[in-house]
Amino acid sequence: MKADVKPKPVIAGQGVDAGEVLLAVQNVSLSFGGVRAIRNVSFDIRKGEIRAIIGPNGAGKTSMLNVINGFYHPQEGVITYKGRQRSAMRPHIAASQGIARTFQNVALFKGMSTLDNIMTGRTLKMRRGLLAHALHFGPAKREEIRHRAAVEHIIDFLEIAHIRKAPVGKLPYGLQKRVELGRALAMEPELLLLDEPMAGMNLEEKQDMSRFILTVRDAFNTTIALIEHDMGVVMDLSDRVVVLDYGQKIADGTPAEVQGNQAVIDAYLGVAH
Amino acid sequence: MLYREAGQFKTTYSADMAIFPIRQDRVALILLLLFAFIGVPVMATFHIWPLGSDYMLRAILIPFLILALAAIGVNILVGYCGQISLGSGAFMAIGAYSAYKFSTGVHLPLAWLGTALAIPPLPVLPSILLGGLMAAVVGILFGIPSLRIKGLYLAVATLAAQFFFDWVFIRVKWFTNYAPSGSVSAPELNFFGLTVNTSIERYLLCLIFVTLFAFVAKNLVRGNLGRQWMAIRDMDIAAELMGIRPFYAKLTAFAVSSFMVGVAGALWAFVYLGAWEPLAFDINRSFQLLFMVIIGGLGSILGSFLGAAFILILPIMLDQVPHAIGVPISVETVSHLVFIVTGALICYLLIVEPHGFAKLWSIGKEKLRLWPYPY
Ligand SMILES: Nc1ncnc2c1ncn2[C@@H]1O[C@H](COP(=O)(O)OP(=O)(O)O)[C@@H](O)[C@H]1O
Ligand SMILES: [Mg+2]
Repeated sequence: MKADVKPKPVIAGQGVDAGEVLLAVQNVSLSFGGVRAIRNVSFDIRKGEIRAIIGPNGAGKTSMLNVINGFYHPQEGVITYKGRQRSAMRPHIAASQGIARTFQNVALFKGMSTLDNIMTGRTLKMRRGLLAHALHFGPAKREEIRHRAAVEHIIDFLEIAHIRKAPVGKLPYGLQKRVELGRALAMEPELLLLDEPMAGMNLEEKQDMSRFILTVRDAFNTTIALIEHDMGVVMDLSDRVVVLDYGQKIADGTPAEVQGNQAVIDAYLGVAH
Repeated sequence: MLYREAGQFKTTYSADMAIFPIRQDRVALILLLLFAFIGVPVMATFHIWPLGSDYMLRAILIPFLILALAAIGVNILVGYCGQISLGSGAFMAIGAYSAYKFSTGVHLPLAWLGTALAIPPLPVLPSILLGGLMAAVVGILFGIPSLRIKGLYLAVATLAAQFFFDWVFIRVKWFTNYAPSGSVSAPELNFFGLTVNTSIERYLLCLIFVTLFAFVAKNLVRGNLGRQWMAIRDMDIAAELMGIRPFYAKLTAFAVSSFMVGVAGALWAFVYLGAWEPLAFDINRSFQLLFMVIIGGLGSILGSFLGAAFILILPIMLDQVPHAIGVPISVETVSHLVFIVTGALICYLLIVEPHGFAKLWSIGKEKLRLWPYPY
């Protein structure tokens, strides 16, 4: 999938401070009218790690991903991506800088096939314009075939070859989630944001998805930010975990550290604030 | 066993991406094109039923082809890109009047610059294509609001375009070269020294345009640009997060759509009507095109043809069939019946099968593929 497959950096065990910082969020606050969705949160994501973001419903996890890929603009704080401070931007610019994501509620293109959905992930890599496409031979066709081959690799990897031509609107939920991952992978992102990729899945589907996520990180050294509710999955997959509650960061560390943290236990048990 | 893709294994992506990947479809298309390009003219020349009279070509096939072209244009915008438009009639008018102006020579006094824009009369083909181009430019301008507004509000904005251009072509006499009646006539249809006069020639001219543009449309919608349009239609937020620029996707859809609708407008005026008034392109035309697209199938090139055929043939059927079985009905009743049937059908399709006839057709093909087994 990725032309420049870099060797995996040495990550000795979980949560070591190997790897440079890919994305840093500093003192970010975001509110919608009176609702303060994110309050003064700071954390960073290092190259090649799987960074889990957890917290109860309404904690601001999805909002945080929306801030990272330019969909929401925080009122305060700075975001540094690849060493550069970012100003407010449109989502398609974030996409062109190598940030891809999946959604909590699957956001596929319902009227299109699996293949076409994943092909849209290649949009930014395709150069041919309107006139070349109107004729569909020569350069436009060659380009299409080249990207089709890349997409077929992803389809094989995600084991969805049998639904290649099926309209995604009618697929079962678990498969839709997989197609959505495929669409994000087709962008060959540097930073992949996954919003509850295993929500509503059974155990077997969760295992498949976990395997895909780990393989993506290991094979392509893609940095992954993962929102997930299943603590077992978080413990197994992630290198470091940041915990949000009512828009505030209440813990940050290795899965083991976070699991033993009293504030985290309280938040999950619903202790009054 | 007639319609099977079994055994037709595709060994290259190129074969799988072919315009019609299934062999039977390809054969059917070639036969259809042969019939349209050779069979119809031959039958018309030798007066073979049902092409015994000029009427069939002049009053049915030629308008069918031109409106199918317009419907393809509308389908790109509405069906593929999901941007509702009630202004298609206006874009046909822009194509028609621009082509007319280019064919008679443009003289635009630019008093405040102390100069004038003068273009000598152009041949018919460049005039028609420039007519399409003008429609595309105006289409882009009227597409800009679509970057901020959606759905019903966009429909209202395109409706405003319709009324605005209705008014312009009636009131601004410059467009009609100050013809006292407001009616203008097409130039002689001369292409590279060949004059197009008879119904057969006019039919073939329209057929060439429609065939070329249908292939262009099909190529566009199955490529990168078409995927961007459909992505914007299905989930614009996710599309933007994939790196698709709504600005580019929507405005290219407006441009391509308006271009085709504009060319269709020029053909409608030059080839079908010959002489026309602004009324030829009023709001009824916009609705007619929209109905064709909805009935034929949103997001389907084939559907554009099916819808155009249906909308054109329905009134003729309603007129002829009662006659044939001995219960003639009046012209008014026919036109009322047309409204009732079209309206009912649109309600039915929107509720039960939003992809129109084209979808019913592909369901039929699916059944045929499995036949005689139920699954
Ligand atoms: N677009 C929005 N408009 C108004 N409030 C929002 C919007 N998006 C999120 N919120 C609010 O922000 C808070 C955090 O939401 P969210 O980020 O979706 O939480 P999580 O993903 O952790 O469940 C919630 O109170 C939610 O109602
Ligand atoms: Mg959420």
